[in-house]
Amino acid sequence: MTKTDHTVNFTLNGEKKTFATRPDEKLLALLRREGYRGTKYGCGQGTCGACTVLLDGRATYACLLYAMQAEGRAVRTIESAGTFDNPSEFQKQLVAAGAVQCGYCIPGMVMSATALMETEAVLEDEIVKEYMDGNLCRCTGYEKIWVALRKTLDKQAAAPARARRKSSSKGSKK
Amino acid sequence: MKLSEFIRPASLAEARKSLRQLGPKGMPLAGGTALHFMPGKTPVTAVDITRLGLSYIKQKGDFFVIGAATPLADIQRYRGPRWAMHEICRRISTHQVRNVSTIGGNIARVFPWADLPVVLLAMDARLVIYSGKEKDMPADEYFSSQPARLFRGGDLLTAVKIPVLKAHHGFGSVKATRNATAFSLVTIAALLELKGGIIKSARVAAGSGIPFPQRLKPVEAALAGKEASTAVFREAAAAAGAAARWVGGEGMSADYIRQLAEVSILDALERAAEFARGRAA
Amino acid sequence: MNRHEKAKNFKQVNHSVTKIDALQLALGKDSYVADFVPNDALIVKMLWSPHAHARIKKLDVSRAEKMPGVKAVLWYGNVPRIAHCTAGQGFPEPSPYDTFMFDKKVRFVGDRVAAVAAETEEQALAALEAIKVEYELLKPVFTLDEAMAPGAPVIHDEAEAHVPIPIPYEPKKNLVAHVACEAGSFAEGLKQADFKFDHTYETPYAQHCPIEPYTSMARIAPSGRIEITTSTQVPFHCRRIVAKTLDVPVQKIRVIKPRIGGGFGCKQEILLDDVTAMFALRTGRACLWQFNREETFRTGRTRHPFRIRLQAGVKKDGTITAINMEAINNTGAYGGHGLTVVSCAGSKVLPLYHCENIKFDGKSYYTNLPVAGAYRGFGATQAFFAMESLMDQMAEAIGMDPMKFRQINHIREGEGSPIFAALGEGREGTPMTVGSNALAECIVQGAEAIGWKNRKDWRGKTGRYRRGIGMACLMQGSSIPDIDMGAASIKINDDGSFNLLVGATDLGTGSDTVLAQIAAEELETTTDKMIVYSSDTDLTPFDVGAYASSTTYLSGEAVRKAAAHAKSQILATGAEMLGVLPEEVHCEDSAVVNSDGSKKVTYGDIAKYSLYQKNQYQIIGTASHITKKSPPPFAAHYAEIEVDTWTGFIKVLNYVSTIDCGTAVNPQLAEGQTEGGTLNGISYALTEEYLFDANGRMQNASFADYHIYSMRDRPPLNIILVPSYEETGPFGAKSVSEVSINGAAPAFANALYNATGARVREFPLTPEKVLKAIKAVEGKK
Repeated sequence: MTKTDHTVNFTLNGEKKTFATRPDEKLLALLRREGYRGTKYGCGQGTCGACTVLLDGRATYACLLYAMQAEGRAVRTIESAGTFDNPSEFQKQLVAAGAVQCGYCIPGMVMSATALMETEAVLEDEIVKEYMDGNLCRCTGYEKIWVALRKTLDKQAAAPARARRKSSSKGSKK
Repeated sequence: MKLSEFIRPASLAEARKSLRQLGPKGMPLAGGTALHFMPGKTPVTAVDITRLGLSYIKQKGDFFVIGAATPLADIQRYRGPRWAMHEICRRISTHQVRNVSTIGGNIARVFPWADLPVVLLAMDARLVIYSGKEKDMPADEYFSSQPARLFRGGDLLTAVKIPVLKAHHGFGSVKATRNATAFSLVTIAALLELKGGIIKSARVAAGSGIPFPQRLKPVEAALAGKEASTAVFREAAAAAGAAARWVGGEGMSADYIRQLAEVSILDALERAAEFARGRAA
Repeated sequence: MNRHEKAKNFKQVNHSVTKIDALQLALGKDSYVADFVPNDALIVKMLWSPHAHARIKKLDVSRAEKMPGVKAVLWYGNVPRIAHCTAGQGFPEPSPYDTFMFDKKVRFVGDRVAAVAAETEEQALAALEAIKVEYELLKPVFTLDEAMAPGAPVIHDEAEAHVPIPIPYEPKKNLVAHVACEAGSFAEGLKQADFKFDHTYETPYAQHCPIEPYTSMARIAPSGRIEITTSTQVPFHCRRIVAKTLDVPVQKIRVIKPRIGGGFGCKQEILLDDVTAMFALRTGRACLWQFNREETFRTGRTRHPFRIRLQAGVKKDGTITAINMEAINNTGAYGGHGLTVVSCAGSKVLPLYHCENIKFDGKSYYTNLPVAGAYRGFGATQAFFAMESLMDQMAEAIGMDPMKFRQINHIREGEGSPIFAALGEGREGTPMTVGSNALAECIVQGAEAIGWKNRKDWRGKTGRYRRGIGMACLMQGSSIPDIDMGAASIKINDDGSFNLLVGATDLGTGSDTVLAQIAAEELETTTDKMIVYSSDTDLTPFDVGAYASSTTYLSGEAVRKAAAHAKSQILATGAEMLGVLPEEVHCEDSAVVNSDGSKKVTYGDIAKYSLYQKNQYQIIGTASHITKKSPPPFAAHYAEIEVDTWTGFIKVLNYVSTIDCGTAVNPQLAEGQTEGGTLNGISYALTEEYLFDANGRMQNASFADYHIYSMRDRPPLNIILVPSYEETGPFGAKSVSEVSINGAAPAFANALYNATGARVREFPLTPEKVLKAIKAVEGKK
């Protein structure tokens, strides 16, 4: 019944991978069964953001994306963001701010923030909010997540210039 | 919608051929977000059209041409002379959806709550359809009913052409929602052409709160030839009730939605007039 | 020294220690139920009732049983029929036993019909479609008026429906519960009043919306026992209720609670575990059931809608002479929490203001709509909307500033209320005087932060956008006195670290961290020495679970006592090692030190000595705790809004949420609780509600249609912790989690009135309701 009669190839967290799949399998299901369980199921309707991954650097709902759509692209999950020994700056700030309550939304928040930091040069509040509007949290009222994010962004802005992809109107990559 | 097969044609011609052969068993897929919410238990073959070079925005003569597979986020971030499309795009759904959902997907099948048909109607956009060769048609024709009728035989929407606003033109849109990323209660878009403070022509369109997006002709008629003033806008907005069949939503009555539409029309007209005046100077 | 200044000397408590699981969760490590499911687990899917009220005439699962991949099907024909209550409450529950694993009758759209366990989700879904059901449709009951009407359709006509304790329950009349009390005489009190009021308020169905949906996995351990890993707030109640429902001994069940992705009350309910456990028994396989979001909305628990009639009288000098609250809640198709939620509408609200003549009458009725349950605020949220709206009206009638009116009337330290004694949960309450109360200070600091002194009567203003400021005062409780029990044990390890084992359930609040801080404070060590393991029915002591604002206050004191117990052993062994008497030593910085500080042994040395060297024994402390009081946390909320008087849209310009939670054991986490509760209250007041079609089917079962706030909607929030010291709580603490959700609806309603003169007595404050109220006012002008 669950024939995995198709394959899909994509770069996952920097490694080239080939997975057996089915045409209507969602990327979220594939990732979770392959052990990338930091990406969460929250709604399956493309609204809550707990399943946010990066597809060619753009924040995407893995629950709304067929795995086949990832062919040839670069997928990044929360597992690429940090480790116990080396958490990302935003992860550090989230912990320091007390922004992690139940934590279910946090991996998705981290991925959206990663896209934000890699894409936008100017990080005004309005732009930040637009990047984060697809990640719901019911525990925190967003206050401490916001504080952690703003600190991370300000720290990045203060850091010496480094390679950052500037905002542009280019289309999605082939 | 269930998928039984997933194919990636190498060219537009190949995509059309596949869709033609598949008939109702085929479905073009760009961002794919709408597919998840389409009814139908019969599995279909997804025809991936994201790899056909249909994701771009360029200015060509009097038009901005937007490839059908261009994600809404790109339209949101694009800036061109007298560009007005970003305002509505930043109000559609969430960041993650805007990243994958495309302009074509937003209008190839018209959902009642869709915002882009409203804007494109007001903007007098042209829609480019590929049927072996490309030809375009005005938004009024395209949105006269569900566009599925235009895609028989595998024909595909390939681009949207939006007129570059002239100096005395102004555009304004309003999307009334309960919160930032919610579906629209009422979406209004207005294009005004002013000459010496007089409205030379007006296009006003509405969506959500009515069964299908449409222009509000009685509102437009009440504007043409009149002075671009709040009083005139208010009077024109009052024609909203006669212009369309408003329906309730989110627990609110049709009568309320009409009232909300009237205020939204007024607001959209004020914005359009401001746009026209501000940039005309 | 103010009592609360004691807290300044604490070394672990009253410090924002890093939440112990924060990094693990931020990294996305395996933490939640679904992260521990083996890839070969069976997937459970449920066939839900499409009808609000129907009898199942025929149910044929034979075709489904033969479908590919299907391992078992459960329906009323092949499971025990045992009446029980799904609400995770104390035992015996103050709620009716009106639920069966499967029944021949369905009582709301989303009720269980039959379940399938199959190798894959697709196979399970396909099998559901093969189940044939014939329904005999019954007349549904959708409103309180319909439920109460003589001759109304009886929703629970089964013979087994009963209450396990002697409380009013009349299922033939759809009456789930009735509780009433009177202190003084309302009628006499009203006679003394200069102004009298009589208004009715309505509140909507709403939902908790944790981002992790309900999830349960059960499997058979190698020992043959049932092991349930579940997203629950009440693991011990889960064990008890599953044992009863399946008719298996409690001994045969282990319930494990991993990290929980939010609960807010909805996971104080046993909604999945009986089915996953039964499937595990039938198949011998691991079985996973995770609600999708639509199921979470339709079948998951909700907040009770209320209709509240509030009558009151006030004298010109501001004395409230009489209050009568008649509260009726709609508990939906099943009655868990019906009584307790309506009781709390009275008991958590009426004591807030001085009044000698108070009457309360609370009822709960069945309808054929989604089932209500426990939700943060628990009846107080609904009743404070009525009470605080009326407080503003009373103030206006006597020409007094609404803040001042509250200031002269609110309960003080050392004062009691007849309501505390009269209203309990399923029985009479516990007499109590308020020990700690910083409400006066909350009011002052909140007023300062919102700019109350610049507030004017803005009703005469014109123009499209109008500004208004409103306020509300609030209280809640901390645990259920004489009913709830929490327990903890703590043992030392070789290196001076400790295993802290608690029954208390951290559902994302940070209670593991808070309890570790309490243990560390008592033991004179640091929080990082605590290895916390919470709520596993095989391994930790009992605790009723995370509800009723109890964990910090109740379980925290159990932890403090267990730590003190361990400490006495550490002192004795330390003294033995130092060769001095136990009364000559004390604990300091993870060591036992003699009186002049000249000799010391570290906890690590003491542990090694006691475990390996001489007179060996395990240093282990254990303790239980019940409470005699339920000290209220207090709060004053202030909202500044801008109303679009043409459309009725409300924009929140500023929101100030003050709170007196006693000692904030972890100020950062206490703020987090307050921020989250406050924002939930704000969206509840403005955008959240269940919408139903004519057949009782919820229409907005997704986050696209049910509007909770995103970061983009977040208004400016100003949280102010105002310290007090609750002598009966651990290191001065009382509860924090619930109270903050209660303020927004009345504060907005009062701000709307301040801006426009429009009074809305029904929320959410939809643009249509607001606009209609504004037009009504303008019509009168």
